[in-house]
Amino acid sequence: MSRVNTVLGAIPAAELGVVAVHEHIGYGMPGSELDSTWWKIPEERYAETVPKLREFHEHGGGTFVDVTGICNGRDVDHYRSLSAKTGVHIVACTGFVGGDTALPHFARATVEYLARHFVHEITVGIGGTGARAGVIKVGVSRGGRMTALDRRIYRAAARAAVQTGVPILTHLAIDPEPAVAIFGEEGLPLDRVLFGHADDGPNSSITPHEWLLARGGRIGFDTFGYETELPDPPFWARPRKERLDHFLSLLERGHLGQLLVSADANCSPLGWPGVKGHTVNYLFTDLIPDLRDAGVDDAVITTLLVDNPADFLSIRS
Amino acid sequence: MRTVHTVLGPVPADQLGAVAVHESLLSVLPGAEHAFDVTIDRAEIFETLAKKLTDFRNAGGGTVVDVTGMFHGRDLPLLEALSRSTGVHVVASTGMGPEELLGGYFLTPQTNPPTPWPADRFAALFGAEVTAGMAVPRVERRAPAGLVVTAVTRIGRTATDESLLRGAARTARATGVPVAVCPGDDALGDLEIVLEEGVAAERVAVAGLDRRDVARETVLAVVRRGASVVLDHVGADDDEHLTDRERADLVLALVADGHAGRVLLSTGAIGVAKGLPDDERPLAAVLEGLVPLLRSSGLDEPTVHRLVVENPRDLLTVRPGEEA
Repeated sequence: MSRVNTVLGAIPAAELGVVAVHEHIGYGMPGSELDSTWWKIPEERYAETVPKLREFHEHGGGTFVDVTGICNGRDVDHYRSLSAKTGVHIVACTGFVGGDTALPHFARATVEYLARHFVHEITVGIGGTGARAGVIKVGVSRGGRMTALDRRIYRAAARAAVQTGVPILTHLAIDPEPAVAIFGEEGLPLDRVLFGHADDGPNSSITPHEWLLARGGRIGFDTFGYETELPDPPFWARPRKERLDHFLSLLERGHLGQLLVSADANCSPLGWPGVKGHTVNYLFTDLIPDLRDAGVDDAVITTLLVDNPADFLSIRS
Repeated sequence: MRTVHTVLGPVPADQLGAVAVHESLLSVLPGAEHAFDVTIDRAEIFETLAKKLTDFRNAGGGTVVDVTGMFHGRDLPLLEALSRSTGVHVVASTGMGPEELLGGYFLTPQTNPPTPWPADRFAALFGAEVTAGMAVPRVERRAPAGLVVTAVTRIGRTATDESLLRGAARTARATGVPVAVCPGDDALGDLEIVLEEGVAAERVAVAGLDRRDVARETVLAVVRRGASVVLDHVGADDDEHLTDRERADLVLALVADGHAGRVLLSTGAIGVAKGLPDDERPLAAVLEGLVPLLRSSGLDEPTVHRLVVENPRDLLTVRPGEEA
């Protein structure tokens, strides 16, 4: 039986439909909630978010995977309300975007404690919401090298993934040797790991795509739409054609089964201005037309957006 | 009118009574609120804290100063309800520190490179909590903060600790609230950084000076510089701090040296701890433990009154700030 944990309960993988596998309802660095610069009244927050999710649904989008880590403004009650009102399945995560987003209670914790916390959120629920996490988020701290805390989080995530069968998504796939070693030591097959942000501006050239693919890892081209052509691009932007050509080259080399795509957009950013004009719906308005223009057929697009994420997200027993 | 910022609004300074000047009511290690094994039962927390505050009032206490700052479990609606219910004035604080207790927003912001916050940004963040009100995150602002607090990494000041010290000092200078600092391994150096920002020494309290690793000369140097010392572990029974007998002797020495106006006393107790060890010491430990010891050691009544009523009153009274 295939199951995926969503914020409104487990669903069969066959119900996921088109999946945006690495997204955010709203992301803010821990502590940004103290800075009223970013505060929005609830009406504003819903007004920014609901139309994007409705549009996603109208385009044929089925499932939105929110990978906002534990201390980054993850708000599962909000996600439950949004999912129920828009018909979009929302998957929430446990874990951390990186060691530098884990607050002291978790930064000081042992691997064993972190693993227990992740398993609890996957099998019992997140806080008092009753919602179970469907994926585990890990990542590399700012600076480009895995810190000791990053490694504790990766190891705890690997143990929780082995125990529960939910997959892991990474924020950044640079410096992956320690990550791959940890996953190996914990007995986690690398097809249960999506190595993310393999496509962004500063990191794509230092991410060893082929090395990860050869070991069975999945590669996330999950910052589609953060383009240098935007009026005010973020520092992780990349020229549109360069990213697309890079992606097509991996498809041509036969890696379709290991590739996943997403936009990493914020519906309503929590602790930063966000990037104007960039939404999850880039997948429908830009990426799919670009792929078709490049001669990619619809069966491949379905594999990328439906079949691969369904296989990845299904809880493995 | 000379007033103090409490969670229920301004209170005339002469109505504070005896003050527990450096306490933590609800203290939550950042992140513990998300932990699977931490339960935050507000009704239970309220009952525990209300009893402690009532015991404090029954022992003659009038005001509790909560020095947890803005990011260590501060819960303003809870503090307001506690003050209303028990009749004890509660003064809450803005500020945070040391670096290890900060969120990534301040340390690795979403810029390239991720440069940690400088002093002026901390000053703006803390200052708004005095001029516009203390933040209930992403919801609203409540009453103005009564003081600004920060702390320095115990093993030594980091660059961000220095930014916090300067930001807190600028907040105090601009708004007229006092600043309280928990120093690291260099209390005088930490104090000098605060004073470099132009805040008057009499508006500065240096806490934690009844630690065993703080030399008597350091305590004297702080008061001679014009700042107040907070002996804030009254009643502690551990290896890290002086005993109450030793603490009483230190108080008597400071008074004999003419520094009665620069001494503050507190228990440093934690009313309810989440993600941290509990601390069962009563808020009334100064009034019921140390003060009797001081009296029996010959301290006169006006000086006792000065230590527990007048000194905290003078420190907490909001002075016209540069921008007030």
